[in-house]
Amino acid sequence: MEMFRFIVRKLVEDRVALLGVILIMALIIAAIAAPVFSTFPEDVADFHPKNRLLEPDSMFWFGTDRMGSDIYSRILFGARITITIAVVAIGASVLIGVPIGLVAGYYHGWFSEMLMRVSDIFLAVPQIVLAIAIAQTLGPSIENVILALSATYWPFWARLVYAETRSIQNEVFVEASIALGASPFRVMVMHVLPNISSSIIVRTTIGMGGTILTAATLGFLGLGAPAPSPEWGRMISESREFLPEAWWYATAPGIAIFLVVMGFNLLGDGLRDILDPRIRRSVHRDK
Amino acid sequence: MKLLVLVLNRFFWFFPTVVGLMVITFTISHIIPADPVAFLAGDNASNEQIEALRRQLGLDQPMHIQLWRYLIDLTQGNFGNSLYTLRPISDDLSSRLPATLELTFMSVLVSAALGIPLGVISAVRRNSPLDHFLRIFTVSGLAIASFWFAILLQLLFAMDLGWTPLQGRSSGWGPEHITGFFVIDSLLTWNMEELRLSLSHMILPVMTLAYPAMATIVRFTRAGVLNAMNSNYVLYEEAMGFPRRVIIWKYVLRNALIGTVTQIGLIFGILIANAVVVEAVFDWPGLGYYAVQSILMSDYNAIMGFTFVAGVIFIIVNLIVDISHGFIDPRESR
Amino acid sequence: MISNLLRVHDLRVSFATEAGIAHVLDRVDFTIAKGEIVGLVGESGCGKTTLARTILGVLPENSARIDSGVVEFEGENLLDKPSEELSDKIRGRAITFIPQDPFSSFNPVFTIGTQIMELMKWKSPARDDPYYANSASRFWNGYPSTRYEADKGRVLELLREVQLPEPEAILAKYPHEVSGGQRQRLMIAMALLPEPKMIIADEPTTALDVTIQAQILHLLRTLARERDVAVLFTTHDLGTTYEICDRVTVMYAGQEMETAPSDGFFNTPSHPYTRDLLQSLPSREHGIKGIPGDIPALISPPGGCRFHPRCTAASERCSVERPDHTQISERHNVRCFHPVAHKSVGAAS
Repeated sequence: MEMFRFIVRKLVEDRVALLGVILIMALIIAAIAAPVFSTFPEDVADFHPKNRLLEPDSMFWFGTDRMGSDIYSRILFGARITITIAVVAIGASVLIGVPIGLVAGYYHGWFSEMLMRVSDIFLAVPQIVLAIAIAQTLGPSIENVILALSATYWPFWARLVYAETRSIQNEVFVEASIALGASPFRVMVMHVLPNISSSIIVRTTIGMGGTILTAATLGFLGLGAPAPSPEWGRMISESREFLPEAWWYATAPGIAIFLVVMGFNLLGDGLRDILDPRIRRSVHRDK
Repeated sequence: MKLLVLVLNRFFWFFPTVVGLMVITFTISHIIPADPVAFLAGDNASNEQIEALRRQLGLDQPMHIQLWRYLIDLTQGNFGNSLYTLRPISDDLSSRLPATLELTFMSVLVSAALGIPLGVISAVRRNSPLDHFLRIFTVSGLAIASFWFAILLQLLFAMDLGWTPLQGRSSGWGPEHITGFFVIDSLLTWNMEELRLSLSHMILPVMTLAYPAMATIVRFTRAGVLNAMNSNYVLYEEAMGFPRRVIIWKYVLRNALIGTVTQIGLIFGILIANAVVVEAVFDWPGLGYYAVQSILMSDYNAIMGFTFVAGVIFIIVNLIVDISHGFIDPRESR
Repeated sequence: MISNLLRVHDLRVSFATEAGIAHVLDRVDFTIAKGEIVGLVGESGCGKTTLARTILGVLPENSARIDSGVVEFEGENLLDKPSEELSDKIRGRAITFIPQDPFSSFNPVFTIGTQIMELMKWKSPARDDPYYANSASRFWNGYPSTRYEADKGRVLELLREVQLPEPEAILAKYPHEVSGGQRQRLMIAMALLPEPKMIIADEPTTALDVTIQAQILHLLRTLARERDVAVLFTTHDLGTTYEICDRVTVMYAGQEMETAPSDGFFNTPSHPYTRDLLQSLPSREHGIKGIPGDIPALISPPGGCRFHPRCTAASERCSVERPDHTQISERHNVRCFHPVAHKSVGAAS
């Protein structure tokens, strides 16, 4: 709790990171209150051929798409998809990667070596390429995008947690609790994990931005949620047929992706600046 | 001696990693789908056709035999036939590889040529307006979706201003085929018209690919330079009155670049990943475009072939980076 | 009257820190004569490294500020000179530097030879020699090849003088491939190569093994003496000061307290701080005796003489006014209102 307050106080001081927080808050509010804020909530599914491809005006703030749906309303509902994919996929990656990293870092032996080699092999392929292969095999749907992303992103956390665990495991407090007879599980969860949580938080925040970009790319390639889902990447992909006349079509979804990813990157950078000296202060490392 | 051990160690891990990659693609293609044969044969195949195909492909065999045969096939470069071109996938991939490599190499070149000096200047003029501008510029580069950026560039430079070609690799026939790299081939045959065409077609795709890569390079170079400028050797060099430009552009930069070079592997990953969508947007006839066509055709053997080749390229690049790191940093090498 | 090579007068330097402004140097006066070896003694944090860096003009740009004072070298105020001129004509030419840590002061990714020849390219005395001015440049780097050969000969000669075995082989090595003692010998050689008038050696042996410290210091002293080069030598080790210095200046919390020839300093210390400092050395008679109290924080230092809160002789006046110099004997000055009467005080054993 004390640490949480410390982070919040520092974040308020760091204007750039604060901007990141504001952007993320905007995403969350947009997702939750999409039906309230949207001007044409039913347009996510309905279509109105009469209103096809209209320029932005006072009624359709960001213009309309090929189905005559209001792009502004679709963007708001698209925020739900974005946030669901990012949170669930990253959550799953953390849940898979952190325990693997902890176990591999805590024990020394062939099993640890093997776990890390497996994650190295996953890291040896560009994430999006692997995600494309998995998503394509599974078929286009949001669930499968999440599956594909979790299956390709977990090694980042495994690697990180492994390295951090190895680096603090000779610390006095870890050795002391082992000497006092604490079980390995207890040492890992009660002593190692809290001390490496800062790095995990920073990595997770920056990972959110990357995941959102990858998810949008999958959507753009037609591997995401099927039409008429208001997924932002898919909306940009649809717009290509109508360029350059319908210049507004791709503009709003592109900016939406940009701002959200930017938000997570700025917050991640800010958190790293805040947490790094703290890591150095609280955990003394030999070399 | 130490260098030799390093090189051998990296080579030693090369083969298990590639086999691991094969196992991953095998898992994706043979284990994840409920019935890979039905998947392969497409929606319109009859039951008899499916059974025939199953025997023909050996998919009625036990899993470990299938895996073994799969490894043998892949090792011999046999990925099966493409549904899209009806040719062997390995031929398709190898004929498209130069286009992608040309694009990626050019992007690495451009991003390094711009990113390294900008990173140095940003560090030297820390907190100046230029540094703040570069911070915004690089943070944006890492947040922008490259397919969207590509479309914006097309809208502005190709459609609106008409300064650059909209898409494709050349509007002519392309230079005589020697290496498959258009720039190199047109230079070898001294075909200036083709050189101009290939370079002008490259401008927008390279801009799209180089932007996030450059952003990464600027950030790492800046951090590396700042780190080096706080070192005792820079204090010593300043105290002994070395000219500032020599300190920064020779002594500091060389140290900072050690960190940047290790990031080239990471950057290459970003480039290959982005090449998929960038090639799709610009109709660039490379591996990425092929992969996107295969996605549209649900041609999953071709996608596995692409995944495997992209993975192997990435592994090789990282191998080269690891080894060259040993050569660049004298502390690693002896 | 011996003419001063370097005269620092009324120097005040402050640093911006997170906790506030730290007044690191307070009205410091300091001189060094031609060919003289002067020890600048004090505990860590007393400002001796800051003084050395101010003379060299390499204070950290963002955080340090020179509030007042002059640094006169051969009669010219270095603080008034443009930084390009200092970098070109003074640093590495007239005044050279031996750093505290020979381990990290070499650039790790270039060979020793590259770094020494870089120094020679810019700082060799032969650079001003018209004989070399028109010779062809070597490779692409603008280093005339005849001068390069001549400079290299001088380098090898001096490496032999600082007793480095196989100088040719050492030039081809990277810094991490030679020992700490060898690196510091290289640093001494690099400090002498430009034929300077003064060397600033900032705790040149603290990073080294005790067994080779004495060797290195005597080597430095011998070579400086032969060439009539002045040495400003900062240290917290009183023993080595006594062995190699002609004169000693003692600093406390950013103020210089006393300046005396080595003999006078050790036998008749006049400042209460100097006396306490010498008594704090372990000796047979009284063991180790510390000075009561703590070193003051430089953010809000005590007024007047900064030693007064710990001083047994302090009076009211000491807390408001910085004492001026009181001359005890020739070249022996003390900045104290209540100097210690000269009787027998425990000398360094």
